[in-house]
Amino acid sequence: MSPKILVIDDDNALREMVGIVLSSAGFDPEYCSDGDQALATFQFVQPDLVLLDVMLPGQDGIAVCREIRTVSGAPIIMLTAKSDTNDVVKGLEAGADDYIVKPFEPSELTARIKARLRPIASSEDTVNIGPLVLDVQGHQVLREGREILLTPLEFNLLLTLAQKPKQVFTREMLLEKVWGYHYKADTRLVNVHVQRLRSKIEDDPDNPKIVTTVRGIGYKAG
Amino acid sequence: MLRLLRRSVQARAVITTVALSSVLLIALGGFLSYSIGNGLFEARLNQVLAESEVAVLDVQNTFAASSVTDEIALQTLMNSVVPKLEATGVADSRRLALLRTPGQTGVQILQSPISSGLDTQLISQNFRSEVRVSAGRVLYQSIELTHNEDGVIRTSPGIVVGSPVEIPLAGKYELYLVFDLASEQQTLDFVQQTLFIGGLALIFIIGAVAYFVTGWLVRPVKIAAEVSEEIADGALDVRLLEKGEDVIAVLARSFNKMADSLQQQITKLASVSKMQQRFVSDVSHELRTPLTTIKLAGDLIFDARNSLEPNLRRSAELLHGQIERFEVLLNDLLEISRYDAGAVRAELEIHDLNQVVGMAIASIDPLAKKRGSAIEVSLPATDVLAEFDSRRIERLLRNLLANALEHGAGKPIKVAVGVNDHAVAVSVTDHGVGMSEKELERVFDRFWRADPARKRTSAGTGLGLAISLEDTLLHGGSLDVWAKPDRGASFRLTLPKVQGSEIFQSPLELPTADDNQLEQDQVS
Repeated sequence: MSPKILVIDDDNALREMVGIVLSSAGFDPEYCSDGDQALATFQFVQPDLVLLDVMLPGQDGIAVCREIRTVSGAPIIMLTAKSDTNDVVKGLEAGADDYIVKPFEPSELTARIKARLRPIASSEDTVNIGPLVLDVQGHQVLREGREILLTPLEFNLLLTLAQKPKQVFTREMLLEKVWGYHYKADTRLVNVHVQRLRSKIEDDPDNPKIVTTVRGIGYKAG
Repeated sequence: MLRLLRRSVQARAVITTVALSSVLLIALGGFLSYSIGNGLFEARLNQVLAESEVAVLDVQNTFAASSVTDEIALQTLMNSVVPKLEATGVADSRRLALLRTPGQTGVQILQSPISSGLDTQLISQNFRSEVRVSAGRVLYQSIELTHNEDGVIRTSPGIVVGSPVEIPLAGKYELYLVFDLASEQQTLDFVQQTLFIGGLALIFIIGAVAYFVTGWLVRPVKIAAEVSEEIADGALDVRLLEKGEDVIAVLARSFNKMADSLQQQITKLASVSKMQQRFVSDVSHELRTPLTTIKLAGDLIFDARNSLEPNLRRSAELLHGQIERFEVLLNDLLEISRYDAGAVRAELEIHDLNQVVGMAIASIDPLAKKRGSAIEVSLPATDVLAEFDSRRIERLLRNLLANALEHGAGKPIKVAVGVNDHAVAVSVTDHGVGMSEKELERVFDRFWRADPARKRTSAGTGLGLAISLEDTLLHGGSLDVWAKPDRGASFRLTLPKVQGSEIFQSPLELPTADDNQLEQDQVS
């Protein structure tokens, strides 16, 4: 069955065009044009991935993103016309996994979607890091027997770091391994998601013990 | 002191006033003390001469009236006359000497009576000879008296008055009276002292008055200067206090009027410019959504072009290329509007300029191949480290390289990197069509192209160099250009090694007008 993609965008032409691109790339597009109906549509459609425009009538994309995150960890890719404003960071902080700046090419869009839908590859079944146990097959993180809910992206980020404890990953390396970028991209993606990850797994997110910052280089686990 | 004079109008005014009034007061004081001294002397002299005439007459009468016949009686008479002369007149200020005129035949029978403490040397021989021939008139001469008071030698002015006296039996004598003018000198000293102290006090008072008056006059000007400074610093609604009807109030009113109209103009301009910037930014953003749709559609058609008939295929290709160009233009427009809105901040990190140059050259390589220009690079052997935003500088270099390739007429492009103590630099030189001086002036203008007909053969947006210049200024660097028609053009970017520091000299030289280097390169 082809993956279901929910396209939330108020621009009819763009929505339809994106749908055409997605269909021809082998995805199954569903549509929503209003921010206020986004959550209901999401729960009805149960998509594998959400394409979300930042500017929407009714609730804006950031609010929609936050809403979806309360019920699901499904990958969300924001579509934005502004790359230089706080919108990007706000969207990421609201829980978006990635963003694409308009105008984009069909190949770029499908590549980003495929990167987000790609299953996580790991040779091990479980990975231990600090007090955490990662169940790779079950996509679960256990801390002293209790499950911590992570989005697939957060899980992938933590797993990437935890598989090679003590090794320092630069932001560029993480962008490539976790997000699938093969060219220079926005390192804010990494910063924001490390913050989100820490807020879920660390005792004290301001004083992290599991995922630590290596100043001027990047991050490492343990 | 000189700096204070240069910097403070008030200090200058006070010092000038004090200096001028000092000169005037010294002249006035000198004149006053001279005429007072003169007056005192004249008065005393008249008194002295009158006293002397009386005394001389007295002595002559005494001798004439006497009927002494022998020396002893004469001596006795003389001894009685002399103390009498000493006693008259102002006490302790008159001494006398009765001297025998030299050169007389006959024996000196009298002992010349001389007041105690009188030095006859004070009476000069010249004066004596004048007195001898004075035919009975009373003559005077100014002299200086010395007093020995408890070992302290003190001098005072004096007058010696002389007159010949005929003494029966004894022959010709000269009577000299010496007057001490110490009390007159004392009076004069006191007057001079008073004048001096009074003068000093006056100068001080004049200085103080000048200080307060100029301070009072300068104050509004000072305030106006401070307020101008504040306005220049951006506090547009600061104003001067308008009070009264005098010239200072007029100054304040005109100043405020000027500030009002300036503020109005600036506010108007600022709001217009803000609106315009916002408009450009909004338009750019609003265009993005339809452009995305167009781009997606165009790309789908472009990808399927091989199954289209030739005319449609060519159309798909043209569409594809122009959509890309449109996108670049939109991005450039947005970037410029960000600069105009002041919303640009450099992400500064230490980078190796060699590396960034390498990346820019690598990314421009396809275009270089298309234009058939070789890119010759000369880099220093060591790392060229400086603090800059690598994304912007790479974009800038890419733009310079693209320009060089566009206008380089297929000839080699030279890229050089240089470094000195304070700065790093890159120059990009082509040997193509170049530019005239007139064109050079406009090279950084927006939407301006070197081709006179603005032929849109090149892919550039016309904003590239304008953005490059903004990027350079953002880094506190300089972007210099040299060009000559049919000789080529050279752009040189110089950046400070550390942000905020000063560039004293660029590590690289731009070609000069009569530089043969370029031609030699072309030949080789």
